Amino acid sequence: MTIGPIELEIIRHRLEAINADAGETLVRVSGSQIASEASDFNTAIMTADGTVISCSKFILVQSTSLNLIVRDILDRYGENPGIGRGDQFLTNDPYLGTLHQPDVTLVAPIFHGDRLIAWAGSTVHEPDVGGPVSGGFNYAARSIFDEAIPIPPVKIVEAGSIRRDIERDYLARTRTPELNALDLLGQIAANRASERQVLELCAAYGTDGLVHAMDRLLASTEAAFRRRLIELPDGIWRENSFIQHEQRSGADYLPNQIYAVRLAMAKTGDKLSFDFTASDDQAPGAVNSTYPTLANFTMAAVLVHICQGLPWMPGAIWRTIDIHTRKASIVNAEWPAGVAMSTGTSAQAIRNCVSGCLARLLDGSAAHAHMAMASSQSSGAGGMSISGHRLDGSPFTTLFLDELSGGGGATSNADGSDTSGTATSPGATPSNIETNEAYYPVLYLTRRELADSGGPGMRRGGVGAMHAYRPHQTGQSIALLSMAQGLQHPATMGAVGGEPGLPSGFAIMSCDVPVAASKGWPELADVTDFRLPDAATRLYPDQMLVTSSQGGGGFGDPLERDPAAVAMDVLDGLVSVGNALRDFGVVLRLDGEKVEIDHDASEAERKVRLKARLGGRDPRTIEGPVSGRRLSSHFRAVAVSGGEQVVCAVCGHGICDAGAGIYASLAVHEAVAGERSAITDRYAGSERFRIRHFYCPGCARQVDVQVARAGDPVLEAIELPVPRIPTEARP
Amino acid sequence: MQIVGIDTGGTFTDTVILTGDARIGVGKALTTHGRLMEGVIASLVVASRSLGKSLREILEATDILSHGTTVGLNALLTNAGAKVGLLVTSGFEATLPMARSNKVHGLPDEDSINALKWRKPDLLVPRRRIIGVRERIDVDGNIIVPLDEEQARQSIRQLVARGAEAIGIALMWSPVNGSHERRLAELVAQEAPGLHVTLSSELAPRIGEYERTATVAMNAYVAPLVGDYLTSLDEALRDEGFSGLFLIVTMGGGARRASSLCDAPVHLLQSGPVGGIMAARQIGARLGHADVLATDVGGTSFDVGLVVGGALPTASRPRIDRHSLAVPVIDLASIGTGGGSIAYADPELGVLRVGPQSAGSMPGPACYGRGGTQPTVTDAAVVLGHLDHLGGALILDRDAARSALAPLAGKLGLEVEEAAEGILRVANAQMADLVRRASVQRGHDPRNFVLYAYGGAAPQHVGRYAAEIGVKAIVIPRLAPEFSAWGAASSDMRTSYEIELPARPLQNFRDGEIEAFGRLEERARGEFEGLAEASLAGAVEVRRKIGLKFSRQLHRIDIEVPSSRLGSAEIAAAEAAFRSRYEQIVGRGSAHAKSTIELAAVVVEARMPIVMPDSAPTRMRGALQPSRQRRAWFGGREQETPVFLWAELGVGVVISGPAFIESDQTTAVIYPGQTVTTDVDGNLTMTVPAVHKLSPSPSIGEFA
Repeated sequence: MTIGPIELEIIRHRLEAINADAGETLVRVSGSQIASEASDFNTAIMTADGTVISCSKFILVQSTSLNLIVRDILDRYGENPGIGRGDQFLTNDPYLGTLHQPDVTLVAPIFHGDRLIAWAGSTVHEPDVGGPVSGGFNYAARSIFDEAIPIPPVKIVEAGSIRRDIERDYLARTRTPELNALDLLGQIAANRASERQVLELCAAYGTDGLVHAMDRLLASTEAAFRRRLIELPDGIWRENSFIQHEQRSGADYLPNQIYAVRLAMAKTGDKLSFDFTASDDQAPGAVNSTYPTLANFTMAAVLVHICQGLPWMPGAIWRTIDIHTRKASIVNAEWPAGVAMSTGTSAQAIRNCVSGCLARLLDGSAAHAHMAMASSQSSGAGGMSISGHRLDGSPFTTLFLDELSGGGGATSNADGSDTSGTATSPGATPSNIETNEAYYPVLYLTRRELADSGGPGMRRGGVGAMHAYRPHQTGQSIALLSMAQGLQHPATMGAVGGEPGLPSGFAIMSCDVPVAASKGWPELADVTDFRLPDAATRLYPDQMLVTSSQGGGGFGDPLERDPAAVAMDVLDGLVSVGNALRDFGVVLRLDGEKVEIDHDASEAERKVRLKARLGGRDPRTIEGPVSGRRLSSHFRAVAVSGGEQVVCAVCGHGICDAGAGIYASLAVHEAVAGERSAITDRYAGSERFRIRHFYCPGCARQVDVQVARAGDPVLEAIELPVPRIPTEARP
Repeated sequence: MQIVGIDTGGTFTDTVILTGDARIGVGKALTTHGRLMEGVIASLVVASRSLGKSLREILEATDILSHGTTVGLNALLTNAGAKVGLLVTSGFEATLPMARSNKVHGLPDEDSINALKWRKPDLLVPRRRIIGVRERIDVDGNIIVPLDEEQARQSIRQLVARGAEAIGIALMWSPVNGSHERRLAELVAQEAPGLHVTLSSELAPRIGEYERTATVAMNAYVAPLVGDYLTSLDEALRDEGFSGLFLIVTMGGGARRASSLCDAPVHLLQSGPVGGIMAARQIGARLGHADVLATDVGGTSFDVGLVVGGALPTASRPRIDRHSLAVPVIDLASIGTGGGSIAYADPELGVLRVGPQSAGSMPGPACYGRGGTQPTVTDAAVVLGHLDHLGGALILDRDAARSALAPLAGKLGLEVEEAAEGILRVANAQMADLVRRASVQRGHDPRNFVLYAYGGAAPQHVGRYAAEIGVKAIVIPRLAPEFSAWGAASSDMRTSYEIELPARPLQNFRDGEIEAFGRLEERARGEFEGLAEASLAGAVEVRRKIGLKFSRQLHRIDIEVPSSRLGSAEIAAAEAAFRSRYEQIVGRGSAHAKSTIELAAVVVEARMPIVMPDSAPTRMRGALQPSRQRRAWFGGREQETPVFLWAELGVGVVISGPAFIESDQTTAVIYPGQTVTTDVDGNLTMTVPAVHKLSPSPSIGEFA
């Protein structure tokens, strides 16, 4: 059958429906809490060579690079053990294609007759896959041999039947065999449902027709994405992001180390290239990312941040992207480096770097600037594996995902979504508290929105959340393995001059502290010691754990936020009266049921702030629109004799010659990492970080905010392409 | 016995009158948004007139009037609900605004892949009207923090001061111990007498505080408006002589007395589509179809529901307009594809796409001649000559439809008729995908089902969307355009009360009295009080069920048990029934022998069957003659096509496509190769040739 614009649309819609069915089938059959309630899984349909043509939207990072797993199977297993009809392969190997060992992937080839035409696959996060530590996150791991040993692809379903030997081998290693078995059934059923429906498409359109249609869809999506890239300016953008890890194991003890992920993203014509080679060396612990994790998080951030309005077809986007990296670095670990904690650590830093650079790229185009979005929460402190014993002596281990409650990033038109989780796992949902309490011996004292945690900006970042719980109906302590990051510094960057979201919080305190009645960390900071979580962290029956997730990044200068919006936030309890003044320069009074803005005082306050930004000098008056080539919301390039000059888009102040470092020419104020936080300074190691605010030296507008290590050189986050000088072609 | 069914839909309000002497009256009127009652009365008047009677004559003789309404949904969609004040457990004030971080679930597909469109469900209660009261109950119902009554009183006064018009109460673990909620309700009655109060432990006693709180908020939000509507409609009907039983169709299936829903209006939020599914079950039972795919094509949406083994499955995670609900809701899948869906050429992929934008009913498709210029699905049907009138009065403008399609056809390099054909194919493929999803996702093979097509536009499309799915048979019911109203009339009175408990092994309950049964049964029976005296009652059937699940799983399956005290034999029987039902849903070999079965809920259902008056059989007519011919396009060429009048078809006639079967309200399109036959009730049964052959595949989810 010929495939025209009508057939192509019908097949496209059908593939999406088939993949959605697979996800629902997985949930229905599995019924397990992580798959059903938290939606911590993803499904995909691939072409014969593994190119992902349709993926569901729950945890994007789990399936955008399934191609790597399929590629490995195609390369190695063609002869032995063979790839045949009704086969399904299981793997959790992060060096081949999963994010980390708890993510178990099942892929199935789809044959029409003897012809391999497609693959179906899914990934589910399992509560445990074995290894020395319950839940799989081993702080003390020196290498992958101290973690769950990855399972390379094994043929767990052969010609339609489960291989009982392989199934036993897989389930023997886990502490939660019943749950893993349920998810395994769900994944098998999901792949089968996809297979049957893809074959129905073959029957309707012919095998050639279907294969041709899939190729066309990929090609036209790729072309559409390339068109979008061409519409965006060329240049190089940079972003750094940091993680911490403490190796606590005898002679290998390494205190409180920092690892930096450093990205330089170049966009040239219709190509996008990500250079991570300047990132730090790999850690001797569990926080490294393998290449598949790097690729997944990069791709997922690309889909979310610049593919608005385009089909999400990772296989098509993949073709336009280059990733440069360095072996044995924190973002491209070399076997046998430990990697089990990658998703909450280095992978989040990767995502932050990519989304930061993409926001700068989009902001460079007047037509696309509305798509630029500040960073959403990184891994918060509430994401943890907990284990212990109930009153009746029965053991338990599970993953609490309270951290999926951080703030979303702001855009030019909207505040970030409050307590909405991370952008690259859009469908992930934390469990109800009652579900956690029904199955585990804990009692929550609060789950609340955390005031003042959203990154200030002209648009505010979404607020994060605070959780507190204590052991309940158990006489024993509970072991906690938190994946907390961003305790020592903000990790959720703003965009276009917006402030970062509030850092995470993690504290254990006496359970009689009235946490529910408090206004958050400022009232709790004095009652407890703040200690970084580690492998020995335990929660005793007279204690409670208090954690908070990060707020999202703000957008634009906070002094430009509409005071009425600040007042609304105060009324909603999302911003305090004190911080309305501190963060936004808005003077207001909360009078019982009403908020009253003092406009004159606010205006005066904002003037004082601007002046202070310039060290007491009066800011330049704004003279109307500045023409010139757009570099960002804040900068224009204007022609001057002998080349181009970068000027402020608002006041026209000449900043530097094109080609010189823009950031080096800005006014800068360096603040401590705990600038807006009551607790960040209390974590050992936070003194190593700084928050740098950059202002236009003319009008004092805040044009960027960066987190850096003290003493690091200023990051030139925007680099203009060298202007092309027309040269005469040889005849 | 005379029964009246009325359904308020998005565009039309339909009425069906089933008289005691086997006659059927039908009426249609435009839905009057903002003043729904006027449309209801107008539609009733039209239906009365169709029987040659006045409204008063009909109402005086009516025993039961059963109504499906969107009044609650409209309140929600137009932000016209009450100012709600919410009392929750201190420390958990953010449960509703946090919405379990949901920024994508329930969004339309195209928004779910656009991060700029991600957002939480609309917040029905602003944060300043959510106040935490000091109290805490744990998983076992123990009181950890006693209710601070003084602070609670203050909170109530504060809510009133902030404008609360209705109060919702949703405390942690209230399904296990509702004492604090009940006490709070007493305090509200003292501090703010007259305010509507919703208790989560009574309305939605399911475990999971977010969904329960959202349900309470929703209920309180729509309560005043729905209450007013039901009360004034009741009065208006009684003024016109009605003295019978006034019922409302509920989302959970069945109809309940309007008076009992004033406190629990959340149950009638989306009652219209449920009327259709219930009607499909009724007719299915009559025609011997226990497994039915019920499909409803309207102007702006396409809905699919299931009847499985004669029962209507409920949704496991129901949402209305993205708001999660913790009450039983008949499972219904829906997309915004209908006659008004707009077609366009996708500039990125170069494909022909249909929807989700819709021309709605105003201006409507270009062929309506009301100023619409965008090409819609209905325009495509008009271009092809498949449709030339709507609803008796509206003559469709084929030239306007052609003009609307021409630019699109140009962009795609197609003739106008090819583009029209393409639009119908794409729209119907979307519908077929939804039918497949509604069945496959729920573990069913559509090939084992009979598909029912109803709603004004379904008879026109079903020959396409059902053909490619490969169902057993296709039925277009005689009352297809008024099916939801007919469903309202034909539904039993039914109520169900449930309570969820923290899951504990079923074996722990052996030989003990499950106390919740008594309480729930009393409430359920209360709804039928006074009916026997009104000589309406058949006997009330009461069923006790226990909700079972495997340990650590979320699927709950309700199994009927004989009594509230379970011995070993009853437990064994319940476990066996659970395993068998589980494997039916999930797949053979999936019910682990070793997994613990837990009791997670107690359910009581009460039902009073309503005996429908028989309808007169269709009479045999003379020879089968088309009433006229119409030029229409099929398979790429235009041909003279016979048009039959539905009302004049006799029993057992066979019509082969291409052909049209028309009534005032709808046109059935019979494609070449398809045939329809008529039955004694006037229903059409359509046979379609298999589109493609596929070797039988193993049933879903065999794990052996």
